[in-house]
Amino acid sequence: MNKQSYKEGIMRLIFLLCACMSLAAVILICLFMFASGLPAMAEIGPLNFLLGMEWKPSQGLFGILPMIVGSIYVTAGAILVGVPIGILSAVFLAHYCNKHLYKIIKPAIDLLAGIPSIVYGFFGLVVIVPLIQELTGTGGKGVLTASLLLGMMILPTIITTAEAAIKAVPDTYYEGSLALGATKERSIFRSVFPAAKSGLFAGVILGVGRAIGETMAVVMVAGNQSIMPESLTSGVRTLTANIVLEMGYAADLHREALIATAVVLFVFILIINLCFSLIKARAKI
Amino acid sequence: MKKVFGLMIVIALLVGTLTACGSSGDQGEDGSSLGAVNVISREDGSGTRGAFVELLGIVDADENDAITAAAEITNSTSVMISTVAGNPNAIGYISLGSLSDDVKAVSIDGVAPTVEDINNGTYTIARPFNIVYPEGSLSDLAEDFKTFILSDEGQTIINDEGYIRIGEGESYTASGLSGTITLAGSTSVSPVMEVLADAYKEQNPAVTIEIQQTGSSAGITSASEGVCNFGMSSRELKDSEASQLTSVSIARDGIVVIVNHENEITNLTSEQVKNIYLGEITDWSELAE
Repeated sequence: MNKQSYKEGIMRLIFLLCACMSLAAVILICLFMFASGLPAMAEIGPLNFLLGMEWKPSQGLFGILPMIVGSIYVTAGAILVGVPIGILSAVFLAHYCNKHLYKIIKPAIDLLAGIPSIVYGFFGLVVIVPLIQELTGTGGKGVLTASLLLGMMILPTIITTAEAAIKAVPDTYYEGSLALGATKERSIFRSVFPAAKSGLFAGVILGVGRAIGETMAVVMVAGNQSIMPESLTSGVRTLTANIVLEMGYAADLHREALIATAVVLFVFILIINLCFSLIKARAKI
Repeated sequence: MKKVFGLMIVIALLVGTLTACGSSGDQGEDGSSLGAVNVISREDGSGTRGAFVELLGIVDADENDAITAAAEITNSTSVMISTVAGNPNAIGYISLGSLSDDVKAVSIDGVAPTVEDINNGTYTIARPFNIVYPEGSLSDLAEDFKTFILSDEGQTIINDEGYIRIGEGESYTASGLSGTITLAGSTSVSPVMEVLADAYKEQNPAVTIEIQQTGSSAGITSASEGVCNFGMSSRELKDSEASQLTSVSIARDGIVVIVNHENEITNLTSEQVKNIYLGEITDWSELAE
C-alpha cells in the first residue's frame, strides 16, 4: 500500500514534468523573441518599423508595413478560396456522401493534411505559377498564386473541423427540419449551420492560423518583393517569407529586425488563438 | 425555391472566384503585351547578390544596393533556375558552378562566362569564396585541411567543379592525422567543399568532416563562437566580424546572368544588365538591337 502510493507520487511527478515541458518551451520562445526583438524595434523606432514602407536592410531601412499587408492579403485570399470549398466539402461528407465514397475521400483529405509544405511549394512553382503566367501574362508569382496554394493547404484543417462541428449537431435538428417539409439543403443551411456556427468559425480561424504561419510554400510562389501589392498578380512578401529569406545571411541589426518581424507575427498568432478560445468559450455557454 | 437558395450560394461562390481570376487576367494583358522583363534577384544580405551588385555597380548615389523593388526575390539557386526556366520573360543570376542546361547563360559585353575567361580576367563578374576562423584557433588537423584546399590537388578539384582556382599551390602529402573537422556556412560554397572533403578523406581515412549549410552569416557567427573550425563565406567579412576572424580566400566564382531558352538575347552589355536591375529597362523590346 505504502509502496504503491510512493510509486504513484513518482509517476505524478513525471507526468507533471512532461506537461511543464510545453509550458517551458512557450515561455523560452517568448523570452528569446521579445528579448532580442524588442530592443531592435526600439532602435529602429516602433513606428518606423511597423508603418515603414521600405525594407532595405543594407541601408538601415526596416519598414515592415508591406509585409504585414502582404500577410493579410494572402491570408484573406486563402480564406476566400479555402473556406467555401472546405465548408461545402464538410457538408457533403456529413450529409450527402455514401459510405464507399467516404472511405476514399476522407483518407485523401487526411493525406492532404500530411503533405509537407515544401512539396506544396514545389507543386505551386511548377504547376500553378506557369498556369497563372499563361492566364495573366505576368510573372505568375504573386497574391493570386499564393492565395490559391494556401487555400488548398488549409482545406484539410477547415474540412475536418467543420465536419466534426456539423456532425456534433443532434440529428433531431436536421430530421425535425426535414419533417416540417424543408428540403435537405434548407435543413442544412438554415437549421444545422446556425447550430454548428461556432464550430465552423473555429475551423476558419484555425485555417487563418495555418495560412498566416505558412512559410516554405509561400516563399516559393509569392515573388517576395518587399513592396505594397497593388493588384492580384503583383508580387508580395509575407512576414514569414521575410524571415526565412534573409535569416541565413543577416547579421547585427538586420538579424534582430528579422526577430522583431517574428514578434509581430507572434502577436498576430496570439490574436488568432485568442479569437479561437473566445469562440470556443462562447460555444460552451 | 428552397433548392434555388442552395444553388445560388454555390453559383455566387463560383462567380466570385472566377471573376477574381478574370479581372487579374485583364490587368496582366494590359500591362505586359510586349514582354515586360521579369527581374529576379536574390534576397538582401545574400553573398551572391552582394557580389553581383558590387561588381556591376547596381547602386544609388550613396553607393547603396539599388536593385529595383519590383524584382522578384528568391533565397535559393534552384528556385531561381526553375523560375527562369519556366518564364520566357525572366532574367536572373546564379553562381557559375550551379549553371545547368535548363537556362541560357548570357554573355556580358561579348564575353561568355567560362572558367578560362574568368581566369584571364576578360569576364569580370566574379567573387571570392572564403573560409574564416578566429586567428590562432586552428588545430593541426584544421591547419592541414586548409593546406590541402590551397594545395595543387585542392585547387585542381575547385577547377574541375567549375569554380576558379586562386593559385597553383604546392603538392599535398597526407598527414596521417585523425579527428573531426566541422565547417558551417554559405550554401554556395558547400557543394565544392563536399567534394574537397571527400578527396581529403580519401588521403586521410581517419578524419571525419562535417559540413553544415547554414548561410554565410550563420557560418561566420558559428566560427567566431567556436562552434565549428571553419566558417564558409561567399562574401567579405563585415567590419564587426573582421576584428575577431581571419579570412582566407580559397576560390573564385563567376556570377552568370541567365535567361529562358525562348529568349533570343544572347549578349547584354554590363550597362544593360545594370539598368535592368535598377528598374530603368522594363521591357525586352528596349534591348532589341
